[in-house]
Amino acid sequence: MSKTTQAPKALRGVGNFIDDRFHLAKTGEKNLRKVFPNHWSFMLGEIALYSFIILLLTGVFLTLWFKPSMAEIVYDGSYERLQGVEMSEAYASTLYIDFDVRGGFLVRQIHHWAALIFVASLVVHALRVFFTGAFRKPREINWLIGVAIFAIAMIEGLFGYSLPDDLPSGMGVRILQGVMLALPVVGTYISMFLFGGEFPGDVIIARLYMLHILLLPAILLALIVAHFMILWHQKHTQYPGTGKSNRTVVGTPMWPGFAIKAGGFFFFTFAVIAGLSGFVQINPIHLFGPFTPTSITSGLQPDWYMGFMEGALRIFPNTLDFQIFGYAVPVAVLVPGLGAMGLLFGVMGVWPFLEAWITGDKRAHNVADRPRNAPVRTGLGVAAVVAYGVLWLAGSNDILSETFSINLYLTTYIFRVLFIVGPIVAFIVTKRICLGLQRRDRETLEHGYESGTIRQLSGGEFVEVHKESSQDTVDVLQSKPTITSTALVEDTDDKGVENPEARKAKGRFRRALAHWYTKDNVSVDDVEPHSGHHLHHSESESSGAH
Amino acid sequence: MKWITARRRHPLAGYAVVILALALFGVGYAALAPTSDQAQAQTLAAEAPSPDDVDIAEGKTVFDQTCASCHGLDGSGSDTGPDLREVGSAAIDFQVSTGRMPSVNPDVQMPRRDMVMSEQDLDHLIAYYNAEIRDGESGADVPYGIPGSAPQPEDFEPNRADYDSEEAFDEAEEEAHTEYEAALAEYEAAYDEYIEGADDTEMGMQLYLTNCAHCHGWSGGGGALTDGRWAPEIHEATPREIYEAMVTGPGAMPMFNDMVITSDEKQELISYVKTLQAEPNAGGIFDLERVGQVAEGFISWTIGLALIVACAIWITAKQRAHD
Repeated sequence: MSKTTQAPKALRGVGNFIDDRFHLAKTGEKNLRKVFPNHWSFMLGEIALYSFIILLLTGVFLTLWFKPSMAEIVYDGSYERLQGVEMSEAYASTLYIDFDVRGGFLVRQIHHWAALIFVASLVVHALRVFFTGAFRKPREINWLIGVAIFAIAMIEGLFGYSLPDDLPSGMGVRILQGVMLALPVVGTYISMFLFGGEFPGDVIIARLYMLHILLLPAILLALIVAHFMILWHQKHTQYPGTGKSNRTVVGTPMWPGFAIKAGGFFFFTFAVIAGLSGFVQINPIHLFGPFTPTSITSGLQPDWYMGFMEGALRIFPNTLDFQIFGYAVPVAVLVPGLGAMGLLFGVMGVWPFLEAWITGDKRAHNVADRPRNAPVRTGLGVAAVVAYGVLWLAGSNDILSETFSINLYLTTYIFRVLFIVGPIVAFIVTKRICLGLQRRDRETLEHGYESGTIRQLSGGEFVEVHKESSQDTVDVLQSKPTITSTALVEDTDDKGVENPEARKAKGRFRRALAHWYTKDNVSVDDVEPHSGHHLHHSESESSGAH
Repeated sequence: MKWITARRRHPLAGYAVVILALALFGVGYAALAPTSDQAQAQTLAAEAPSPDDVDIAEGKTVFDQTCASCHGLDGSGSDTGPDLREVGSAAIDFQVSTGRMPSVNPDVQMPRRDMVMSEQDLDHLIAYYNAEIRDGESGADVPYGIPGSAPQPEDFEPNRADYDSEEAFDEAEEEAHTEYEAALAEYEAAYDEYIEGADDTEMGMQLYLTNCAHCHGWSGGGGALTDGRWAPEIHEATPREIYEAMVTGPGAMPMFNDMVITSDEKQELISYVKTLQAEPNAGGIFDLERVGQVAEGFISWTIGLALIVACAIWITAKQRAHD
């Protein structure tokens, strides 16, 4: 039976033919055995990849019938309610996809749901990378690529939303134009160039279409490929545990284990998106009707990923607008419209380098941090999530106001206050929770885990029996890194002279930041695993001495 | 109990308890929550009530009892209620038939609710208003030609006390049922005729999206306004009520009289919004109340992404260290 390990002859022939020419066997084997860590949070990026593939496939389907033209026609298709209505060819062809192309409605809904889930999965993936410190050296470049993918995905989504030329898409483009016009000096020119004249003109759909189906997806695809190649080369980070270190990776090999899981996961992702598309109506353009510049409606928002920008526009006070030489500078549009986005991507892009500057940490990190073990970073991350969330909610303040019967003006004030106070409270609370978890980790390491068994001692006292944690748990808890910074080390040369850099304002600022970043820490260095007295209840019950 | 005790530390036990609790609250709430206003004021899409059917003295009683405390005995208004002499009978019909008047709190915007008086009393009230309070012909008249609410079966039911024998009552009941069916058929015919009588979707859509949608929303689902007010949902409103709202401009709503938007254009507009409301949801059985992007974003996170992440947790799950 030893021959069963050999491949069938037909396959062997083809395999050898290829291998003789390309020498793929060695690379192939190496890559097929590539190890993937086993944790659900490492699958979040895959959701993004899979929904992107679904977007590409359904997008190609939609281009077969979509006409990116703003030429006015009178509708004469099979959707009866709008027969005889004047509309653009873009809108009419979208109706055609919905009602005349077999499966067209479903595919368009899959495309839209997949887009929402694509961006959502980008966000949770980025959050996972942030909170586990996986953006640190050597992965800063890949983090930057990820930020670029996130930014382009948002723009890509906005443009796609604008293509059908229905009521909300026209309103979305109008807001886009408003933000452009707010740019001092160049705003009006940019708008005139993009729209080929006044809003809405007759070219904008064709231009957005080119960007949406050609340029932006190509850039996205290139960035995703680069993201993957770098990941493949650098390998995943992994959570601490037995046998896991900065030099070894523990997990499931690509073939056959991980590939089967990932393949199954693709189909699950597809199933959820297709299930939503089959049962839940999304962006019903046939109900909205075509866009005309005079139409305007309450209760419509951009898709969720633009919500934070919409919210910033809604709650930013307009008292700061001013005029210069008779030209208006609409601060209330400029700052939230472009500032919110600039702040989001700017902070995301700068953070890895800022953190490295504060800590002076130049080591390569392949073991991910547990979020509790980097309390300041985790606190800042949660603060940012809260700030984003407040803006996001503010973007739907009219819906919230109507649904929950809250005064619309009151929601504006609530969100303004929350935007300032929320992140501060979130930071403090999160940091305290992290430190509390660190203390619990220390206790678990020392005493083992609570077994749930209650025992009565001979003295009448009740105690809960603790049991020894597994080796893996002990390794995880013991691996807790101590966060330090080179800025806090006395930097003197051999003659005892202080480094002049450290005395300058920048150096002092860095030291202050480093102090703030590192000061709170529950050390486990002095703890001997399972040395705590709780463990000994089970053995010493008869003695009863405590 | 033993079965539960043995499993209370199962990794899924927590989730099971939460799901059970949610289900319990959900079902409990659904059972206890007040049902949406089903009954509506009944008016037939008929002619104005003939003078023989209305009793001005009866109308005065209704007015003195339900309206005069705010609007004054002569309808000239007071600190808590506006002057009614020039508003016209359409305003009276709109405010009373949508249940907004009599108001329980004059300081806040009234929501739509069931009419508090009978259809007959409203007719008496309007007759009294026209005869005694209204300042000549000022304001708009009730547009009786436009369909109001559908007839309700209970308005036709005979009173048992009026009949001596069971047989006579049964007979009367049967008769009432036939009468109701006939009235309903008549109403539906009038409704369809009014809605289908408008055939210029484009005009209706332009009028609605230009004049109405920025408050009431593209679907007529309502929306938030400034200063704690809101534009109500207009799905329950009858064509006649929408028409009356346009010609009288209740609350914060501007007035669109027949010079601004002609009667025919109003028919197009009403037809547009009612047809849109009746439109089936081609995209799936869940329409998310036609709220749009906010609801879609919420679902994409809470259902879509949550399910996919749950799957990721499932396929990477391993035995926990303690177990």
